[in-house]
Amino acid sequence: MSPQAAIELPRIPVGTAFENLINWLRDNLGPLFDAIGLVIDTIVGALGDFLYEPSATQLTVLASAVIALGLLRQQVRLPVLITVVSYIALLVAELAGGVATAAIVQLPAPLFQWAMGLFDSEFVYPPLLVALALLLAVTALSFTTTAARSQWILAGGAVVALLVILLGEHTFGVPFDVFGVLLFATLAFAVAGWRLAVFALLGFMLIVSMNRWEEAMSTLALVLVATGAAVTIAVPIGIIAAYNNRVSALVKPVLDFMQTMPAFVYLIPAIAFFGVGQVPGVIATIVFAMPPGVRLTELGIRQVDKELVEAGEAFGAPNTQILRGIQLPLALATIMAGVNQVIMLSLSMVVIAGMVGAGGLGSTVYSGIAQADSALGFEGGIAVVLLAIFLDRLTSSVTRFSPAERARRRAAAA
Amino acid sequence: MPPDQRARVVMAGSKPVPAGYRNEEETVPAVRVTDLYKVFGRRESKAVELLSDGRHRDEIQDLGVTAAVIDVSFDVKAGEIFVVMGLSGSGKSTLIRMLNGLLEPSAGTVEIDGTSITDLGHRDLRALRSKKISMVFQHFALFPHRSVLENAAYGLEVQGIPRPERRERASEALGLVGLDGWEDHLPEQLSGGMRQRVGLARALAADTDIILMDEAFSALDPLIRRDMQSQLLELQHTLGKTIVFITHDLNEAMRLGDRICVLRDGRVAQIGTAEEILNDPANDYVAQFVEDVDRTRVLTASSVMEPPIPVVDPSSGPRTALRTMRDNQVATTFVVRRDRRLVGIVREEAIGEAVRTGVTKLDNLVNDDVEQVSPETPLAELFHQAAETPYPLAVVDDEKRLVGVIPRVTLLAALASQNGSATSDEQTEPPEEEPGETGDGATATSEEEQQ
Repeated sequence: MSPQAAIELPRIPVGTAFENLINWLRDNLGPLFDAIGLVIDTIVGALGDFLYEPSATQLTVLASAVIALGLLRQQVRLPVLITVVSYIALLVAELAGGVATAAIVQLPAPLFQWAMGLFDSEFVYPPLLVALALLLAVTALSFTTTAARSQWILAGGAVVALLVILLGEHTFGVPFDVFGVLLFATLAFAVAGWRLAVFALLGFMLIVSMNRWEEAMSTLALVLVATGAAVTIAVPIGIIAAYNNRVSALVKPVLDFMQTMPAFVYLIPAIAFFGVGQVPGVIATIVFAMPPGVRLTELGIRQVDKELVEAGEAFGAPNTQILRGIQLPLALATIMAGVNQVIMLSLSMVVIAGMVGAGGLGSTVYSGIAQADSALGFEGGIAVVLLAIFLDRLTSSVTRFSPAERARRRAAAA
Repeated sequence: MPPDQRARVVMAGSKPVPAGYRNEEETVPAVRVTDLYKVFGRRESKAVELLSDGRHRDEIQDLGVTAAVIDVSFDVKAGEIFVVMGLSGSGKSTLIRMLNGLLEPSAGTVEIDGTSITDLGHRDLRALRSKKISMVFQHFALFPHRSVLENAAYGLEVQGIPRPERRERASEALGLVGLDGWEDHLPEQLSGGMRQRVGLARALAADTDIILMDEAFSALDPLIRRDMQSQLLELQHTLGKTIVFITHDLNEAMRLGDRICVLRDGRVAQIGTAEEILNDPANDYVAQFVEDVDRTRVLTASSVMEPPIPVVDPSSGPRTALRTMRDNQVATTFVVRRDRRLVGIVREEAIGEAVRTGVTKLDNLVNDDVEQVSPETPLAELFHQAAETPYPLAVVDDEKRLVGVIPRVTLLAALASQNGSATSDEQTEPPEEEPGETGDGATATSEEEQQ
């Protein structure tokens, strides 16, 4: 016998309220979301293109950046700063008013023919010229301001590598992905040592040979942008939470919510706000991947020995100085563990983001699922795994560059 | 040796008190603590009210508060080592943290050089800390990511001193604590004692007049701790810093402190010099506490020495000297100049011989090989010297003026009395030399300070 009149709880329209909220936001803040979407889309697109097939200009700037970083490590600061600022000024002037173009027209053409021929450039391309000037400047600085042989090798190596890549790509038609793999291996060697370099070489070669390089680079761009945004938001929140117990108590359940809400659910409002494509993928990834960044930043700062903070206070240091000089450097290892987790979670979101047309390896896997094509799905999956391991090892060895570790190595050398 | 005691010693020698010592009472104290309370918990003011009515801190626990420091008042004079001693939980760490404003008092005031820090805003408080008070921590609190030099330079960095000067001054401070050549090492590469030296150098480099030391040597093993204590005394002697030192180790307190404040359950049990606390404990708690102290390390030459009577002038003849000795019934006497500088010692037999042979000058008769000790020398270190010579030990001050003598029998008597202060009355020591006697004036002042 069924009960005649079951007592029914009144239905609370949580879902409807949420939907209404989204509609309201979309109607009233539409332009804002459009702007955010545009920015994210541009950045991810540009980064993806750069990683997949960088232009000669970009590669030249990259080589210059590597040399400039080396110079900074050799304590050459002011000349590098001046050079970089003048480069940016020149570039802006060129982009705004074609200053460099105007100047070049004044100069005799044969001067550039050779250099431009090298880059397979039919006409004189001013941004490339400005970048070459930058490269020349930092290389010259390397040989004039430092006596460190390591810096000479770095500068020479970067220039030679640049020439080899450009010649190989433009003159001999070697596809860039081969050099891309080599560059990743070099980065791995510089940051984490030869084991990861070998892994990167083999793993990325496999991705190239599976013909998934473009997708992999697109995914990497998405992960990097999402991680960058998540860390930029997470670290300050973590710092505030570490300082303020009330904020901490407030933030915790929000983070729990963000982390445990099924990731698919984020896609629905993200699509509502940003439409289909990379942007909702990035947004959902940021929301899903951010919590460990906040948690581990808070933990790291709270874990710093109280007596050390007290020492800072006892010597009259203001809070900002204690944060910058004591807490952040000592919490860096923990914060980096958080960043590492953010990256891992971002990668795990990639496939889900692929469902909303974020492209990259996610789309590969998703079409594998849709077509029941296990070969396609597995190849996409393996590529994700290789990327994940590479990024994980790379970021976990970045702590080698933390102030504490640097000081340790300096002391060991002394 | 506390300055006031030095003054007393000089008075015993019937010389005017040096100006520096006499004016001490009139100058502004480096640190003045008045009716200080610190209660942790919500109902602070109610708790302070009850505590000031004389309730014990355990009686007010149902308020949900913890009283750490209760009604503490004292002055620390400039250039003094003031030791706050108490067992764990006696509130000493809380107390020291209120001296530089790391903790805010529940009631009462803290004055640094006459300025009340309780009213200062954050900015002024920070400025005060960086310029006037530095601190040395129990577990060193060195920054692991900075080299020894950068650690030592931290206070200067906060003060905004440019890098080259910072490095120079920090290296100087490291040199003072004996860490030359360790500048580029990391704290973790150093032993415990060396780490605390870095902590000390960091405080010294900041060049503040006041240094707070929170159980600074407690984490070190005993041998190193002794070394560090000696070094601290030496540094304080040359640099003249005002030091507030926290410890739970009575021997350390006795060794370092010009004056000692004994804390019990947050309240002051007694304030006074080491000798006052040893010889005249204010209550059973303090008495029990000092029972096991090795008195020979605390009591100093000045507390057992006898007045240097008789003495003879080097210009006087052997006849005068002989008469002086016979009058006082002694076999030896010290020869001092008019300004009481010690020349040497003469023996009765030698003088008698000289008188018989008609020598008119003392010069050749004076034996200048006299064992000399300073008034601050602990008894423990006197025994060895006393064994080396048949003559009494000469107690001389910094200017080589004779301020007292210690015959062997006096030393033995002092040693005998060490076995228990209760039996000391039965000793044969001359009553006017009883240390408790000379300490009376200072005990009185310390009791005033307690109220």
